[in-house]
Amino acid sequence: MTIKEVITVILLLVGCFFFLAGTLGVLRFPDIFSRLHALTKADNLGLGFIAAGMALHIASPLAALKIFFIWFFTLLASSTSCYLIARFQKEQDQSGNRKEGG
Amino acid sequence: MSVLIDGILAILAIYLALQCLMAQRLTQTVFLFFAFGLALALAWIRLGAVDVAIAEAAIAAGFLGVLLLDALRDFSPTFSQKQKNPETGQNPPGKDDNKPPFLPRLALGFGLGLFLLISLEAIWKTPEGGGLTAASEAFLPESGVEHPVTAVLLNFRAYDTWLEIGVILMGLLAIFVVGGIRLYSRPFTAAQDPLLRQVILFFTPVLFLFGAFLLYFGKSGPGGAFQAAVLWGAIGILLHLGGRPVFSVMPRWLLQLILTMGLGFFLLLGFLLMATGNALFEYPPAYSGIMILIVETLAAVSIAAALTAIFANVNLMKEDPNQTESTT
Repeated sequence: MTIKEVITVILLLVGCFFFLAGTLGVLRFPDIFSRLHALTKADNLGLGFIAAGMALHIASPLAALKIFFIWFFTLLASSTSCYLIARFQKEQDQSGNRKEGG
Repeated sequence: MSVLIDGILAILAIYLALQCLMAQRLTQTVFLFFAFGLALALAWIRLGAVDVAIAEAAIAAGFLGVLLLDALRDFSPTFSQKQKNPETGQNPPGKDDNKPPFLPRLALGFGLGLFLLISLEAIWKTPEGGGLTAASEAFLPESGVEHPVTAVLLNFRAYDTWLEIGVILMGLLAIFVVGGIRLYSRPFTAAQDPLLRQVILFFTPVLFLFGAFLLYFGKSGPGGAFQAAVLWGAIGILLHLGGRPVFSVMPRWLLQLILTMGLGFFLLLGFLLMATGNALFEYPPAYSGIMILIVETLAAVSIAAALTAIFANVNLMKEDPNQTESTT
């Protein structure tokens, strides 16, 4: 087992940990905002670690670039959708029904 | 190890499908359908069918998911009153008193059993020697493309693909029939939200580029007209949702031309080939590469326009009728 493989495994494990934490947050957090927080922040970080691990594992510059772009686009899309969902929920909370989530 | 992954994937796909059918709330059904589509896409990748995986993820999970979400939004005002808060998943709906009558259930059970039997038979009777793989590999040089899937779809069995394009167009026609033909004369109202506007501006060229990449590299690898079309259709949907309905800037005849040119050119090419003494869709090997590329490009643009139009029409159906009446 070379030092590269060790780093790859560590990166993947850290990524999985963040995914697990994000999933736990989605399942356990009380309201939509903290769930969104858990989902997007933790999962994006986890995906970043996994992407880094896979890039290191494949070890070709072009593939690494592609993987980076996958992560980058996911980051953009998920943070935007997080923001939009949160904004929608906030607007809904403000208009009419005043039952705060939870 | 790989058997373990495959097993987990298979169980996951079936579990998600069951959950999707059994889910008590519509929201759950839709999101489980997303998850099911992605699990299915992963399964296709494990089976080595990357083309199908991309199509599954893009069309089933992506495009259909968007349509379902849109439908969900239409239903949500009526549903959310009944079942308090959609995001606290604690309150059980607890209404199962409208069970379907006996005969349809029997028919459904019978049909499912028959389907299962046929599937099992198909698994058992896998042809030895890979079926038609050898034949399609043998004629690959004549097809004009290097990727066997593309060769089969656009050359050896071009008829099927042609009909599939027609099926999408038929879907759009059905929506026209139900909802009436709209002229998309909605004014340009750029998304109020600055972030959304910037993201749409950013993703439009990226999606276009990636679609073109999938289209062009369909000749040598996974990808092709349908996968590219979904990405291009995603542009249309994004722009539509962002307050820039693309079809509002083009005259009606142009939209109709774009919608039908994939199907039309395919058919025209087929007839021209017949006129020169070949069979329908039997490309002369010397020109087959370029012909396939042209057909695929036109088909992709048509399918993308059709998908966008499907979404836009379904999306417009629920808007106030007097606004839409005035456009015709």
